[in-house]
Order: sequence, then structure tokens, then C-alpha cells
Amino acid sequence: MAVYRRTARPRFILLLLVLTAITLLTLDQRGTGSGVINSVRGGARDAFAPVGRAADHVLNPVGNFFEGMVHYGDLKAENARLRDQNAELRGQALQARDSERERKALLDQQDLTFAGDIPRVRARVVSTAASNFELTVEIDRGTNAGVAKGMPVVAGAGLVGRVVEASRSRATVVLLTDTSFSVGVRLSASGDVGVATGRGARSPLRVDLIDPATKVDKDEVVVTSGLQQSVFPPGIPVGKVLSARTPPGALQQEVVIAPVVDLRRLEFITVLQWSPKA
Amino acid sequence: MAARLRLPLVLLLVLTVQKSLLSDIDVRDVRPDALLLLAVCAGLVGGSEVGALVGFAAGLIADLFVQAPLGLSALVFSLVGFAVGSFRSTLLREIWWIPPATAFVASAGGVLLYGVLGAVVGQSQYVRPHLVTTALVVASMNALLSLVLVRVTGWALVRTTERYAR
Repeated sequence: MAVYRRTARPRFILLLLVLTAITLLTLDQRGTGSGVINSVRGGARDAFAPVGRAADHVLNPVGNFFEGMVHYGDLKAENARLRDQNAELRGQALQARDSERERKALLDQQDLTFAGDIPRVRARVVSTAASNFELTVEIDRGTNAGVAKGMPVVAGAGLVGRVVEASRSRATVVLLTDTSFSVGVRLSASGDVGVATGRGARSPLRVDLIDPATKVDKDEVVVTSGLQQSVFPPGIPVGKVLSARTPPGALQQEVVIAPVVDLRRLEFITVLQWSPKA
Repeated sequence: MAARLRLPLVLLLVLTVQKSLLSDIDVRDVRPDALLLLAVCAGLVGGSEVGALVGFAAGLIADLFVQAPLGLSALVFSLVGFAVGSFRSTLLREIWWIPPATAFVASAGGVLLYGVLGAVVGQSQYVRPHLVTTALVVASMNALLSLVLVRVTGWALVRTTERYAR
């Protein structure tokens, strides 16, 4: 009997744990306890924030060392590319006659002209996703700073993603390459509208609903359409066209775009305090 | 330090390392999963019951910091911890390569199970073409980390393992 009890107990415990997990999953999926669950999640993130901040100070140099080791090849290639780019820009700078105009152009480049007058919150990326199944980043601003769920997030060159969760001091941003992400877009040359969908970290985005008759050029810029009910304001650059082809008999083109923002090197981002109703 | 405080401390430590250090170390955008590995190590050190309990706690903590449905990691990690603990008696833990080999197989299984169960609860994007690659990369990195974490888990669970030894 004692032997029976000893072998049956772990299974009974496992059964209880599985049932508890399934109950939590059901509550979360049905949205029954979503208010409580969101509060618990937000509370956990806020509580962990000071620990995370302290740990970042200590562990960042170690992380950078390993990151450099793992990505040595990538960094070497990027370094070479940046050196080339730097040399080219130096040449251009030397050719520039009007230094005042050059300075203004540089300032314009750094400003988010596409965001217009939309109020914004600047934030720092503090960590990437803890899961291998989602492409998100955590930022160091939350509802206390005016960040709310659903707000668009941009960086210098264009769209980064959307806020999917916000606690008091932290917010989570889903990146536009995540497979759950989609955004209404417009081709800058033809004005045709479509829907861009993320396909994973190293994959370009796919744009659907582009008419086969539309001429799509390589490197053409694709911007947010901002059509009615869109969760993004119009005119934010999303990506550049990598390729476009129409398979025989297809009703739409297969358009593939690369994001304009380097999502692997995000350090600072800007949250636009914008909602579709605004 | 009181033995009962060791496990919560290790859970916090593993979460901190996962978010502050391991999130920066990726191979083709895949990162190690230290909380899943903790469930594996707990099963290896403490047996099926301890593996399931620690797996559930680690999974629940993981769930609080991701967008996936709450309870998904808790379900998967407790099953993985239990499974590893069930096979523990047939393994010779004294051989140095047993923990990394177990961590490799269990982590790969855990990632695949997470993807499949995620799809069952509505996250169909979790089952993707690179799922097997993701599982193998996580498994490899977790196997390396297990050399350290299995010792840390042994320290955290010292009271539990002594109780089970009696």
C-alpha cells in the first residue's frame, strides 16, 4: 500500500497541476478573467523592473561579450559595410557647398517628419522577448508616461510595431516581423493599398491584395495606408520592395518588402500617442 | 541561508538571467530557455513530483512575461519536469554527460510541445516551418547551460532531495 501511495502521488500532483493550467488557459482565452490576469501580469512586470534594471547594469557587459562572440561574423560584415558607408558620406559631405543647408537636412533626417504633430513618448528598449515564439521588445515607459495598448511605435526611419501591453512602468511592443502582426499599407508610387504581414525575424514581410496590373518597382517605399479603422496613422514608412511577381492566373501580386528599420539593433524608439478615434 | 528560501531565490535568479543576459545571446534569433531548463534540472535532481511542481512554478513565471495565453508554459514545463523525473531512476546521473543529454532531449521536446499546444489553444502561428530548428537550437544551448544549472538546482532542492532519499 505504501508503495502504491508513493508511486500514485506524483501522478495525482501532476493531474492537479495540469487541471490548474488548463483552467488558467481557459480563463485567459475566454477573457473571463482578463482584467485580473492583465493586472497580475502588469504587477509582475512592474515588480521585476527594478531587479531587471540592476541586473542589466551588472550583466550587460557579459551579454555584450557573448553577443559579440556569437555574432562575430555578422559584426565584421556590418563593420565593413559601415566603413564603406562612412567613406561615401564623407565624400558627399565634402562636396556639399552649403553647410547650413546640410545641417538642416541632417536635423530633418533625425526628426520624425512622418509623425507630424502627433504627441510622442521616447523610450529605451530594455529587453527582447523572453519567448522564442514571439518577436517583442520591452520598453522602459508605461502608462505613467502616457503609453497605452494599441499605440504605434516608430524609430528614426519608420514603423517598428505596436504596443500590445502596458503596465505602469513598462510596455511590450510587438515587432512588425512577428507572425501575428499585420498593417494596412500603400505603395508610394501607384497608391495601391494592401496588407503587410510579418513572417518571422529573418523573413521579409509579405504584402497581399496588390492588383496584378499595378507596376511595382524594386526599392519602392511602402507606407502605412491609414485608411478608416486603421490602427496606424497614414504615411509611416514600413518597408522597401524587395521583389514583386504575379504567378500565372493569380488574382494578386506576390510582393515582398524589407522593413526600413533594423529591428535587430533597436535601442531607442518612439511611441506615438495616437488612436484611430483621434 | 534557510533551505526553503533557496528555490524562490533560484527562480528569481533564473528569470533575471533569462531576461537580462540570455535574451541578448541568440543563434539565428533563437535564445536559450532557462526556465524550461530549470524544470528539466528539477526533474533530474528531485524526481517526477518535484520536476512537475518546479516546472509549474517556472512556467507560470514565464507566462507572466510573454504574450502567450497564461498557463501554457506552466502546462508544458510541468509535463516536461514530470517526464524527466519519471525517467530519472533509469539514468545514471553520476556520468557527466547525462544532464546535458537529458537537457537536450527534454528541451527539444518541450519546445515542440509548446508549439503544438500553443496551436491547439489558438496560437496557430506557433507551428511554423522553423519549429524543429528552433527546438534543436534551444536544446543545444540548454544542454550547455545544464552543466551549471543542474548544480544550482541541486543546491536549491537540497532539502527536498534529502527528504526523498529517506
